[in-house]
Amino acid sequence: MSTSEAHKVTKLARKTMLKLENVSKVYYGKSHVGRDDNNDSRLFLEHVVLNNLNLSIGEGEFITIVGRSGCGKSTLFNIVSGVDRSYIGVIQIDGKPQSTNIDRIIIFQEAVLFPWLTVYENVEFGLKAAKLPKNKRRDIVMHYIELVQLTNFANTFIHWLSGGMKQKVAIARALVLDPKILLMDEPFAALDIQTRTILYNQLLQTYERTNKTILFVTHNINEAVALGDRVIVMYPLLANVWKEFTVDLPSPDPDN
Amino acid sequence: MQNSQRHQQTPKKQGRKIDFEDLANITLFIAVFIGIWQLVFMLGIWPEVSMPSPAMVAESFAGLLQDFTLVTSIGMTMYRLGIGFTISITIGIAIGLAMVKFLGFGKTMSSFAVGLQSFPSVAWVPFAILLIGLNDLGILFVVIMSSVFSVMMSTYSGIRNIPPLYIRASRNMGAKGFSLFRYVMIPAATPSLLVGIKQAWSFAWHALIGAEILIAATAGLGHILLVGREFQLMDQIIASMITIFAIGLLFDRIMFSKLENKVRDKWGLNQSIER
Repeated sequence: MSTSEAHKVTKLARKTMLKLENVSKVYYGKSHVGRDDNNDSRLFLEHVVLNNLNLSIGEGEFITIVGRSGCGKSTLFNIVSGVDRSYIGVIQIDGKPQSTNIDRIIIFQEAVLFPWLTVYENVEFGLKAAKLPKNKRRDIVMHYIELVQLTNFANTFIHWLSGGMKQKVAIARALVLDPKILLMDEPFAALDIQTRTILYNQLLQTYERTNKTILFVTHNINEAVALGDRVIVMYPLLANVWKEFTVDLPSPDPDN
Repeated sequence: MQNSQRHQQTPKKQGRKIDFEDLANITLFIAVFIGIWQLVFMLGIWPEVSMPSPAMVAESFAGLLQDFTLVTSIGMTMYRLGIGFTISITIGIAIGLAMVKFLGFGKTMSSFAVGLQSFPSVAWVPFAILLIGLNDLGILFVVIMSSVFSVMMSTYSGIRNIPPLYIRASRNMGAKGFSLFRYVMIPAATPSLLVGIKQAWSFAWHALIGAEILIAATAGLGHILLVGREFQLMDQIIASMITIFAIGLLFDRIMFSKLENKVRDKWGLNQSIER
């Protein structure tokens, strides 16, 4: 049995890391014309973005959420990441209700690194904010900088980096905090296809090594299927999961 | 390729090293200026009392330097500037932060501050004389009132204009309260703050010399100008004016521009189109 197959087997018995129960969200004041129960045309003054959505993600799973613009994936992302607190329903992270703990770190589409800091300083930011002493920070930070293969750029300021490199820094600084879930919001959408391909492999390698739970939102179906163990498809105006299917492609060999 | 040093490329035209072409241009400019001045003097349009020659001004310079008047005056003026400017920055940043924290106060105060920012510094002088007196404290008051609003406004807008994504990302990584303020908000607002401080310096400098003249300071560069006018010493007046000009230039080019450039380089704001 190869390493990746062994990984797959151990993944079967795992705890639920993220659970959404009957999550709904409505935008008031966003009117649209639609059909009511009697099939008459009506002006609706609210926009239901999510309607009783249920989702369960196990530890170490790589889930991709894919859908067209307006399907609600960004709203779902904002709710799970804690940015949006006005929703109905229950969200549990590792069995506990949502809190302000840093157990879910976001990787944004534009990396959002701090331009006044070097790569090293950007990656250590979370640890510094957590008041970890300097000598203890060093090993952890360098480990993750090496993991994303940016060792030679540890002391450069970030405006020298390409878009792909910036995302690598964003991934490193998230992993440094050992989050329970990694939330990725269309992180490769702004990159060209060659860089994206390289980063897919890099991300999957990192995933195999760290075994993190990842929630990855994208509008690109190829990306969703290439990366995810399970793909969740959403559709505009449906306000819920449309289809969900498991991907049976073999994972890349982590030692490659 | 080992690149573990900080990347700091200094292309020649960025002006941080002394460019000999620039130096030659400046020397030429000054020489032509002095030449024209000498010519005007020799044409005798104005009496010698009103328009001295460059040589006479240079002589006056030497005299002022010799009896240490120039040095003590510069010292006195700088001392007042130092104290006034420091107080201005402290009060300005403090109130600016309060404006950010208490948004109602912030909105009201910013309307006043914008108006008071460009309030002519000399217009504060009669008020200062009556309120405080014909003394150093009065001068300090004028200096502070002329510059504090620039610092205040740049602090306020600097922090308010931080891209919200920075705050979102920092909060997500666990920074909050004072930590968020110190490690994210201050550095993010620094370029904007520096612009405000530079402007405040300029206002403070203008205000100071004006106040020294009007409040009849007992020592300082303004005092030399006043004495010069009293005794009709035009060469002394011009010598002082050149000194004032030089000091202003020195501080701006050397202190502030360097600081500003350093921050802009770090952030990558000085990138020209060709790398």
